[in-house]
Amino acid sequence: MGALAMGQPKYVVLCDIAWAPFEWVSAKGAYLGFDLDVMRAIAILEGYEIEIRDTPFDSIIPAVIAGKGDIGASGFTINEERAQVVDFSEPYWTSDQAIVTRAGAGLDVAGALAAGRKVGAQRGTTGAGWVEEHYPDVTLVLYETYPEAVLDLLAGRLDAVVQDVDPSKQAVAQYPGLLEIAGIIETGEQFGFLVAKGDPKGILPLLSSGMAKLKDSGAWDLLVSAYFGPGLEEIEAAWEASIDILLVEKDVLKFAQTFAALVAE
Amino acid sequence: MTLEAWSQLWPKVPVLLQGLVVNLELLAGLLSLGLVIGVAVALVEVYAPRPFRALALAYEWFFRGVPELVLLFLFYFGPSQFGVDISAFLAAVLALGFRSSAYQSQIFRGAIQAISPGQSLAARSLGMSRLGVIRHVILPQALRLSLAGWSNEFSSVLKDTTLAYGIGVVEVMRQARYLTARNFPLALPAFIVVALMFLILTYAGNWGIGLLERRLRVPGLEARG
Repeated sequence: MGALAMGQPKYVVLCDIAWAPFEWVSAKGAYLGFDLDVMRAIAILEGYEIEIRDTPFDSIIPAVIAGKGDIGASGFTINEERAQVVDFSEPYWTSDQAIVTRAGAGLDVAGALAAGRKVGAQRGTTGAGWVEEHYPDVTLVLYETYPEAVLDLLAGRLDAVVQDVDPSKQAVAQYPGLLEIAGIIETGEQFGFLVAKGDPKGILPLLSSGMAKLKDSGAWDLLVSAYFGPGLEEIEAAWEASIDILLVEKDVLKFAQTFAALVAE
Repeated sequence: MTLEAWSQLWPKVPVLLQGLVVNLELLAGLLSLGLVIGVAVALVEVYAPRPFRALALAYEWFFRGVPELVLLFLFYFGPSQFGVDISAFLAAVLALGFRSSAYQSQIFRGAIQAISPGQSLAARSLGMSRLGVIRHVILPQALRLSLAGWSNEFSSVLKDTTLAYGIGVVEVMRQARYLTARNFPLALPAFIVVALMFLILTYAGNWGIGLLERRLRVPGLEARG
């Protein structure tokens, strides 16, 4: 990406790029997603450079603690356990958990989580923790990635999969007629970006000021409308046609407007 | 697994191949590192005075005894405790390379010890130095003998390169995961293609090593005699 501007600090952003629509790799191999574009936009607004480094979800917090990255931006739910070892930005997203089942299974939330059911979730996610805590009688099966859990659900080895609402919707959209959302549990979890404990590099004020600027200008809502709802193909096509406005022209608002308008077409 | 999934996967094969190139780079790095250190460790174990021998044995014991994934994490996260930032790729080459050197040292040690001591005595009696004997008499034969065992190590570490995805190296497994994260139904076809790639590579590599073995064979040479 663009030449490193002189005198601008550079921060490494860690992200597990396999969780659409927050972060994924396009058909052409580009890293895109809501988290990543917010990171890119804030970097431009606050005058620093970023390098996005793909890191498995489980490893992001250890890597930030070990100083192998500066910012974790990967749909992290803010919780006490994590807040003990890293510092979070103010929340930028509220998410609930969805229960996905095979279409026609006739299960509601209570049925899908009844004693003896096999329920899948991604390792290290709040969905996994939530099932463990509230439904000790279900058999919880943990997966390295969300897609693997969905495959096991389709194969009939699981009764349900617990995951955040937006990725769940994407999964259901990818298997028309095969999967359905049995119900949504309003956990009201909040996502935050995270940095090393004590914020030694002073990044949190930059994130907070950048997020405020994005929201004031309207760019934030445009990004939300572009990323949450449409299919991935539509998003990718619009993103590829407009991303240079962000990366080359460095015009955050114009990018968000163009991107959102192209997606809506 | 539908026909549609396969037709969607087909155009993505170049992306997987891109990832496979990274596996081959890892392989080249770790095998060379493992070869150099492996030969050195084997020589120390056979010829060096006892304290050095104990060190070489300890080295071998450590790198053969710790699981690969644990080594990867140690090498990736460990150095930053001392202020050294090491890339995931380099961490993978070092961790897997040192580990391979421990296994390779055993292959070379066995081969060195298979060369009859009579040859050393004969060469010494002709006035060759000890180093000269190792260099001109023992190693040329021992390295030829090790090729069979070495092809085994090659097949094993070739597949181990996929473990590097655990610390974030964007190699073929990671590329396959990108594809499946974007398009879930591609999972099975993508992993079948990855499996085929490794089957072909293992076959080609072992064929190459076999060819080398035949090319380098010295007619009439016996290991013990």
